[in-house]
Order: sequence, then structure tokens, then C-alpha cells
Amino acid sequence: MSAELTHEDVERILRIIDEAKHLEELDLVYGDFRLHIRRNASGERSIAPSADSPAPAAPARAPAAPAKPAARPVPAGMVAIRAPMLGTFYRSPSPGEKPFVEVGQSVKADDTVCLIEVMKLFNSIKAGVDGRIAEIRAENAALVEYNEVLILIEPAKA
Amino acid sequence: MSAATPFGRVFVANRGEIAVRVVRACEKLGIESVVAVSEADRDSLAARMATRAVCIGPARSTDSYLRAEVLVAAAKGTGCQAVHPGYGFLAERAAFSRMCAESGLVFIGPSPEAIEAMGDKITALRLAAQAGVPRVPGSERIASAEDARRSAREIGYPVLLKASAGGGGRGMRIVRSEGEIEQAIRGAAAEAQAAFGDPTLYVEKFIERARHIEIQVLGDAHGNVVHLGERECSTQRRHQKLIEEAPSPVIDRKLRAELGEAAVTLARRVRYQGAGTVEFVFDEDSRRFYFLEMNTRIQVEHPVTEMVTGHDLVAEQIRIAAGEPVSFAQDEVRVDGHAVECRINAEDAERNFAPSPGRLLAWAPPEGEGVRIDSHCYQGYLVPPFYDSLLAKVIVHASDRAAAIARMLEALDGFVINGVHTTIPFHKRVLAHDDFRGARVTTRWVEDSFLGGA
Repeated sequence: MSAELTHEDVERILRIIDEAKHLEELDLVYGDFRLHIRRNASGERSIAPSADSPAPAAPARAPAAPAKPAARPVPAGMVAIRAPMLGTFYRSPSPGEKPFVEVGQSVKADDTVCLIEVMKLFNSIKAGVDGRIAEIRAENAALVEYNEVLILIEPAKA
Repeated sequence: MSAATPFGRVFVANRGEIAVRVVRACEKLGIESVVAVSEADRDSLAARMATRAVCIGPARSTDSYLRAEVLVAAAKGTGCQAVHPGYGFLAERAAFSRMCAESGLVFIGPSPEAIEAMGDKITALRLAAQAGVPRVPGSERIASAEDARRSAREIGYPVLLKASAGGGGRGMRIVRSEGEIEQAIRGAAAEAQAAFGDPTLYVEKFIERARHIEIQVLGDAHGNVVHLGERECSTQRRHQKLIEEAPSPVIDRKLRAELGEAAVTLARRVRYQGAGTVEFVFDEDSRRFYFLEMNTRIQVEHPVTEMVTGHDLVAEQIRIAAGEPVSFAQDEVRVDGHAVECRINAEDAERNFAPSPGRLLAWAPPEGEGVRIDSHCYQGYLVPPFYDSLLAKVIVHASDRAAAIARMLEALDGFVINGVHTTIPFHKRVLAHDDFRGARVTTRWVEDSFLGGA
């Protein structure tokens, strides 16, 4: 199921948050779409859509999003590939080349599934398990934080 | 402050109370802030207050707050224009400052050349001598035990062995006779190697009645250098400052002018930009002062200077980094009243200051006129075991020293903390002591006299 959330919808949600005096945090889950809104200590709101959601409406003040919630669950039976370091996430070996992996593709434990770049240093990230790529959560060329879930793999049955 | 803000977004490469302090300064200047957090600091107050927090690595600081390349990548990736390093961690690493510059980020602090010149203590001592700032009689780098013995004989015992790359009291040994020197070298060199990755030592005259006096300076890109008077930080234990005050009870107007002049001259020599502190040893017997070192960062105890001068040093740092001049001239600096700061640590003074991490079951800091609390703590906060034990700085300001001490005692009485041991009881005993009230505290008073002798 894909989410149909318009810019107006997001604005409306943010207005509700703004008007609700005692609401600090809101998690909206709609199918595979998840919206996390958190009011910070200075009373400002910021919004962190999940990486694989449709292009989100930009919040009014376009701040950098808050630390992405680490809590977004990894579904049972899935193996999460997490960022071993903060850096820039790349799906392909170099711009223009095809991605290392696509959703649905089978991989071996030793296969490289993505790169993380820190200061021009590219770190290959391996699948770690044999299986099938179930979901790619991180966005190409975006900053990923330490321990952030990048990719979900459905492990092959032994 | 002009309407234009110097930066749109500043990256805070630090944690704890100083991260909170920098976020507050950014807020005041209308700048967004992004705070680097380790996994252990995801829930930190700075993370909650900042525009954004970004997780840079695991709890251990060697995997997070000390990873220069990760911090730079995080700052760039979050669209920041400048990096505030706070104190500790990478604040005085020239390589980090350089890496920021090479990535197009403004490092909020002095040039890498100034950090390098002052970071190597032997280079710093030479520069200070050239600037007419005397140093404690001492040697150059020592190459061997024989070398050290020769220097120590020339200077006269007791002497102090110190780490060239050092600071914070690590890699230091008092040597009272020639028989002790060889073992002391081994211990100090090993400590220096562990703490700074450099075992180089030098020898210095040991002053029996020494006070720690330091001068706050600010320099800018336009060649202005001003000083904001002194701080007295003689109440120390194992070279760690515990109580700081401004002004010093033993420095008169004439000496203040001399110290200030010496600090400004030195800062000018390295074209110093930003906030820095020139530290001196003051020999109470001869009333002479000697250059100790220059710290090229904002210091923990900067609030006492802010309280008596009314200037916001962290905001000045940010504006200076953006190319603005220091916002006031030397003759506009006034020292008004007296300020005292107590560092409240999560430590048990009864058990040799053993660290006491844990959850803050109750946290109610005092409030009131002339009372300021700089802290990252809140009720329910888990004081992590990975970092230093500073919980809060209690700073008071009053018309004179006696009134400031009274106000501090009142503030500490009203500070409710449960869940961890704190150094509040220790501070209360020191503040009530005749030696402290009578301004007779030297840098070894806490250990040698107050805690009952070594």
C-alpha cells in the first residue's frame, strides 16, 4: 500500500501539532508510510519523514530534520543492515552506474550492497547474510547516522 | 549585534553542558544548531534544544566525539557553515581545525597555526619569552635521565616534571630530590604517552606557594586583541580546577594591568582569533608571575568572567569566527562585583572522588538573583559512565567576595540532586573554611591541607 499524503495534509498535521499545547511527539503510520513529528525544547516543530516515503512536503522553516527515530521497527524475520558509521549513503559504485542491489534481488553474505562515504573514504557495506533485499530505507546520497537502518534483508531459509 | 546573523547553521562538536551553552548562544544570535551526539547522548538536553541532533557513533568518545572526519562529514551533511568545538575532545587539535577549513567549514576558534604554537608547550614557552612574558625557570625538552638531573640541579629542587604535549595535570610529577627523579620520569613519560601520545617531558622549578591566575583574551580577524581581566583558579585537586572566581582576591590594579598586557602581547604574536586564556602561576612569596600555558578554546570557567564583565564570550566567539570585530574595546571592559563558580561533579568526595554515574532521580537546581546554572542535566537523566563527571556549574555574582561566597553557600544548600553522589558537600566545606574565606588557598591547598595531607 502506498501513501497518498499531500502537501496540504502535512501542513494540516503540523497545524494540529502547533495548536496542541501538550502534544510533544506524533507518530503517524499509514501502510508503509510513517511520519514522525517532534516538538523540540524551544517549542519549534520539526518533521522527519521516513527515508522511503514519498517526497515529503518541506516543513515551513526547512530546518535539518531531527535525529531520525531509531525506533522504527525492523519487522520480525528481517535482518537489518545498519550504518556502521555516520556518512553519505550511496547505492551505486559511482554516479551513473547501476545500484549494487534492488528490492527483490537475491544477495550472498559477501555481496556489497551499498557504500558509505566519510571524507572521500568509501566503505563497502556487505549484506552479511544470504537472502533477498526486502527494503531499502536509506536515500541515495543522503547523510545517514550511526546505526541507522539502511537496508532490510529477508534471510534465505537454511 | 547587527540584524544580519553571521552563520545560518552551526555544528556543535561536543556534548554535556558546553553543548547546551553553545546551542543557547546560537539561539540568542538567531542561528540554527546541529548537535553531534553519540549513542549514549541521543536524549541529551543539547540534542533536545538544538534544531537537530545527529548520531555520530557509539558511546566511546574515541568512536564518536574524537572522530574528526565523522564530525566534519556530519557538519557538511547537515548543511552547517561553522563548527564549534567546545572544550576538550577536538577543541585544541590543529588537524581538526584544518580539516574543517579544507571542507569549507569555519572553525570557531583560532587558526591551526595558533593552536599548534600554543599546543606544544615548549614552543609556547619560547613564544611567551619572546613576547616578554616570563616563564617559570625550567629546561627545554629533556632527552635522558642524566639531562633531567643536570637541569634539576641548575634550577634547584624541588622541581616539577611536565609533559610537553600536556595539560590538565596529566604527565606531571613533583620531584623533591635527585634520588626520586628517575622513577618520576618513567611514571610521567608513561602517563604523557597514554594521555597525549607523546612522552616528551621538561623540567620546571616547583613553586611552593603558587596560585593559578589566568587572563581571558579575545582576538579578531581585524587585529584587535582585548583582555577581560583575570580568573583565580587556585582551588584545585590533582590539577583539576574545582572553584574559580573573578576577580582574584590577591591581584591589585597594577598587577592586573601587567598580566593583561602580557597576555595581550602573547596573543598578538600568534595573531590570535577567538576566545583564549593565558594561564599564569603567581608566586605569592615573591609576587611574581610566570607564564604557564595558553588554552586556545573557551574554558569551563568562562562564566565567572561573563558575570563580572557582562560580555557573552561564546556569542563573541561565533561572531568573531564570522569575521566580525570584538564587540567592545579594551577601555570598555569593566569588572563589576565578584563571581564564583563551583564545578559540581558526580563524584563521591568521601571515597577519594570516585566517579558516581547513575540516574538523576531528583534534580532541582537553585534559582535566584545573581545565580546562574550551566548544566545539561535534568530529572530522569542518566549520567553516562563514558565521559567526564561534570554535572553542573553553579555560578554566583554579588557585590563583593564575601557576599558572593554567602550567595554560593545559599545556592548549594538549595540544590537538590538525588541518585548520584555529588561534590556539593565538599564545596560547602571549602567555602566555609577560613583559609578559603581569607583567600589563602594555593594550588596545593586542597590536597596538602584541606584533605589532610598527602
